[in-house]
Amino acid sequence: MIPIEYWLVFSSLLFCIGAYGVLTRKNAIVVLMCIEIMLNSANINLVMFSSYHSVLHGTVDPSGQVFTLFSIAIAAAEVAVGLAILLSVYRRYQTIEVDKINILRW
Amino acid sequence: MMENIPVLSLTILLPLIGALISFLLGKRGHMAKWVALIFSAAAFILSLALAYEFVVDPSSAAAGEIEGYSNGYQYYESHVWIEAIGINYIVGIDGISLPMFVLTTLLCMLSIIFSWDTDRRPKEYFGLMLILEVGVLGVFVSLDYFMFYVFWEIVLIPMYLMIGIWGGPRKDYAAIKFFIYTHVASLAMLIAIMAMYFEASLGTFSMEAIATQSVDFSRGMQVAIFAAMFFGFGVKLPMVPFHTWLPDAHVEAPTAGSVLLAGLLLKMGGYGLIRVAIPSLPSGAEDMVVVMAVIAVASILYGAVLCLAQNDLKKMVAYSSISHMGFVLLGYATLGELGVVAGVFQMFAHGLVTAVLFMMCGVVQHKCGTRLIDNLGGLAKKMPIAAALMTIGFLASLGLPGLVSFAAEFMVFAAVFFKWGLWIFLPIIAVVVTAAYYLWALQRSMFGPMTEKIDLSHVKDVDWYEGLPVAILIVLIAIFGVFPYLIFSRIGPAVEIALRAFGGG
Amino acid sequence: MLEYAWLIPVFPFVAFLLISLLPKRTLSWEDGAGYAIGGAAGALILSALVIGDVLAGNTMVGDGPKFTWLVVADIEVTFGIWIDQLTAIMLVVVAIVGTLVVIYSGGYMHEEAERRRRYYAEIMLFISVMYGLVISDNYLQMFIFWELVGLCSYLLIGFWYEKPSAASAAKRAFIVTRVGDIMFMAGIIILFKYVGSLDFANLFGDEGVAAVPNDMMILATALIFGGAIGKSAQFPLHEWLPDAMEGPTTVSALIHAATMVKAGVYLTARSYPLLVQAPDTLLFVAVIGGVTALIAATVALVATDIKRVLAYSTISQLGYMTLALGAGGYLVVYADSAGGYSAALFHLMNHAFFKALLFLCAGSVIHAVGTNDMRMMGGLGKKMKITSLTMLVGAIAISGVPPFSGFWSKDEVLAAVYSAGEFNSLFLLLWIMGIATAFMTAFYMFRMWFMTFAGEPRSDYHAHESPKLMTVPLMILAALAMTSGFVLFIGDGFGAFSGDSISELFHGGHHESAADILSHIFGDPLTYVSLVLAVMGILLAYRMYYVPGFDRSVFARGLSGRLQKALENRWYISRFYDDFAVKVVYGFSLVADAFDRYVIDGIVNGFAFLGARSGNVIRRTQTGNVQRYTSLIVVGLCLLLIFMLYIVPWGGW
Repeated sequence: MIPIEYWLVFSSLLFCIGAYGVLTRKNAIVVLMCIEIMLNSANINLVMFSSYHSVLHGTVDPSGQVFTLFSIAIAAAEVAVGLAILLSVYRRYQTIEVDKINILRW
Repeated sequence: MMENIPVLSLTILLPLIGALISFLLGKRGHMAKWVALIFSAAAFILSLALAYEFVVDPSSAAAGEIEGYSNGYQYYESHVWIEAIGINYIVGIDGISLPMFVLTTLLCMLSIIFSWDTDRRPKEYFGLMLILEVGVLGVFVSLDYFMFYVFWEIVLIPMYLMIGIWGGPRKDYAAIKFFIYTHVASLAMLIAIMAMYFEASLGTFSMEAIATQSVDFSRGMQVAIFAAMFFGFGVKLPMVPFHTWLPDAHVEAPTAGSVLLAGLLLKMGGYGLIRVAIPSLPSGAEDMVVVMAVIAVASILYGAVLCLAQNDLKKMVAYSSISHMGFVLLGYATLGELGVVAGVFQMFAHGLVTAVLFMMCGVVQHKCGTRLIDNLGGLAKKMPIAAALMTIGFLASLGLPGLVSFAAEFMVFAAVFFKWGLWIFLPIIAVVVTAAYYLWALQRSMFGPMTEKIDLSHVKDVDWYEGLPVAILIVLIAIFGVFPYLIFSRIGPAVEIALRAFGGG
Repeated sequence: MLEYAWLIPVFPFVAFLLISLLPKRTLSWEDGAGYAIGGAAGALILSALVIGDVLAGNTMVGDGPKFTWLVVADIEVTFGIWIDQLTAIMLVVVAIVGTLVVIYSGGYMHEEAERRRRYYAEIMLFISVMYGLVISDNYLQMFIFWELVGLCSYLLIGFWYEKPSAASAAKRAFIVTRVGDIMFMAGIIILFKYVGSLDFANLFGDEGVAAVPNDMMILATALIFGGAIGKSAQFPLHEWLPDAMEGPTTVSALIHAATMVKAGVYLTARSYPLLVQAPDTLLFVAVIGGVTALIAATVALVATDIKRVLAYSTISQLGYMTLALGAGGYLVVYADSAGGYSAALFHLMNHAFFKALLFLCAGSVIHAVGTNDMRMMGGLGKKMKITSLTMLVGAIAISGVPPFSGFWSKDEVLAAVYSAGEFNSLFLLLWIMGIATAFMTAFYMFRMWFMTFAGEPRSDYHAHESPKLMTVPLMILAALAMTSGFVLFIGDGFGAFSGDSISELFHGGHHESAADILSHIFGDPLTYVSLVLAVMGILLAYRMYYVPGFDRSVFARGLSGRLQKALENRWYISRFYDDFAVKVVYGFSLVADAFDRYVIDGIVNGFAFLGARSGNVIRRTQTGNVQRYTSLIVVGLCLLLIFMLYIVPWGGW
């Protein structure tokens, strides 16, 4: 089996890339995509721990993997809602750059 | 006769029902005053009956049969309210709360009569007054910290609204100042209550139960809790330097609001000190005696001196309240039976007297359209009855013997001398200053030639609904001035119980 | 009879209630004068019965009926009545003068149609509480009535309240006497602490006296005398009394000459069992009395308002009584004699009669002329025969010419002071002051009489004799002023009678026969000193104010001019108080008000401002930029992780 550290480093990298994107990119669609990356890093962790759990204890417990499917479904829904909001924002302000949309300040 | 009836709960409930009816009157708003009068009068009559049945002498045979009497409480009622954290509905009345209780029902009824001509949103006005009565009555009989706090906070809201809606030109400022100031103070009190609850760790908020534990708290703990309580109650009293909400609130409040504010709300502070803080935390009180005494003397003198400078009659009366409530605190600070009894009596006396004063200020305001002393003058010629009533009120307030305040002031002075000797000369100066500002104000506003500054040609004398409450109060002031025994004999045994922790006072 | 003495104040009090509460239509009979006279007369009759009882040797000291006023802890305050010879003397004064003044008022207040009612009500209240003061059996009860007579004085001085000067004088009188009252209150509180009771019976007993430490006894007695300083208008609190002349003249006669101002003297006399324990206080009392007598007499020399002359004369005579009490205490302590004490009370009684007479005469004059200013009067003697004659009687009596009453008592006072000089030479100085005062008294009294009644009218007025209702009381009082001195010789004599009320303090108890007393008085050369000075004073007044052509302008120059200016300004004492009140006290209160407004309230408002302002600053952090919020979340999370993983274990929590 691939040692667990590899997986953890991989998912951490993925999470950091996503977070970096969320914090730095201006285009809201890119930000949304980065959030998806962060979500997926979590999904990888879930799947990985689930399989390790099964192997180490000799039992078959797919609940972690099921949870991942659940999470992917939620993410899909979230993307749909998010894109819809962005579409409305674009219609209203003619831009989807996050630092221009700051009417909720003060 | 009344053993089996929950009289206290009934008395608290009556104004509440009245308030609900008043709010629900819909288009028949002009009926509100009648509703308010009927329910407040019913509460007053009930409280009178209660006072009549009250067992004065603790050693009399009947006393042993009264439930809860061991702590001096009569008409004791106890019901579980929220069991999980030990909140109970406990009410009871003793010699300290009895005068306050009757005073509350009396003043509420009289202020309702006094506001007979209120035509601005009468439903809300009279309804709020009744709610206020509920709150104050609740504070005076609660024997459970949680309830005490709830009632305490209930009082704030109607008063805030009365100032904020029916107030004078700067009503917003005054109302917010009043609310925030007293609310901060009640938070200090809440912290103190919580501290006592957790430190006692009895799982109950009952005052009597906690008191049995709290007297044995460590000295530092007691001082800390006492300081918080003292701040909480002292702001309400009010004590210098936390007094500035009072003149503003009074100047802006409607007359009846001022009467209730000065007559009852200030008493809650003094009542809290003697009901909760002093008996429960004896070591804390002992350590804070000097602080209390210094603040009391400062309030007495500072309030009196400030009165001299006031140009607004009502503001002057407001500052005089600070001065006179200082006597209450000074009496308490002696921690002896004489001083504490005198302090409690002073609260009662001040409640009666200050109501007269604020009502008379209201009369001047209503009839002349101004309360500024500079604009008044020679009113005695135009309104002789008002002048006579005002003179009597002022004389009562300056401690004329034969009227009610004198007995209290004299006994406070005596107690101060017993405890601190010749320091008595500091507070006693206030007696002269008090005479000076009252008589000077009287001279400038009522006597002398008639003023040219305002049009006095249409000024009438007092109306019946203004004169009647004042006259009733003055009769009571005279009665209790000549027979203070009637009140002292009831306060005495209760104070003796309250001061048990001090080794018999 | 004595146990019914508490009914004495009830009569006037019922009259007061009737007059003030009866509906206007039913009241009538001159708006209450009838009820007033009835109340006063009822009290007079009852007082007479009580006095008769006391003369027969009965007293009620501490064993009368009691009424519980309040009970606190182990302290019980009860009220009761205390009737002894001293009480009886005061009762004589209050009853007689009170009744006569009320009758006189029927004429004097006739024109005050709307106000008569208030006047009679207040006068009745005054008489009632004055009786209450006199028969009190403890200090607290006395203090209560003490304040109530002050209240009545306040109300009656301000009777014509629309006059600014009257309203101001009323206030001033109340406040100044209140300064004395708080001293009185402090004094009785001191006694209260050590004795645990304020009943005279307990305080004056040996145990009560022994319970008070010596220094506290001095302080307490001095403070109680402080009350007397206020009420009896002694220096330095005497300036309210001349101002009090703003009230109706009947009020001046009753309250500010005959009864209320005597309350201070009465209090001092009543406190004798305590005072003799503190000779330092006695000296203080005597000095205050002597200084007051002299200062007031000097101001009376130049006063032009007829009532002010009488007011200063009253202060001066009260000073005499106080001086006699101070000296009398020394005599009790060192000479075992009640001579000074009796002299003071004797003068108190005589003075009440002749001073009430003088005031009522002045009232009659004012009633006729319509002014108080003697410079506008003159020549009234022809038109107002009865008034001028009765006033002459009063003037002779106060000047100390035998055999009128003033002579006997004034002589006794001076003799007592002189003999006290044996024990403290300060009394000799005070005696000289007293003699000087006697001279000035004779002078200013006759100056007043000549200016009013002699010569030619100095302004245009149509004077006429007053109605019978006013002149009859004048004649009765004149008769009393002539004869009241002779009580010195009736029975055991006044000295023995009054001495009985402090009989436990000395052992002497001299019962001299009338001949003894006479030879005593006229065998003493000092008697002639005062007599000659009095006659000289009268002659000087005759020369200066009766014989025309005397040039008084010589006094207006140089040192005497400055002196005269000081006298006309009442030694600047009044002005000093005004300045003190207005500039110092009121100024201080304005500063305090500004402090309250700007400093204390400034801090409060500052907190509110700080809250609002800091909110204003902190809200700038909400930029609306989502990415900035997110960055902060990440940073915060990292910090929290570092804290939890490294700092907490490192700290060992």
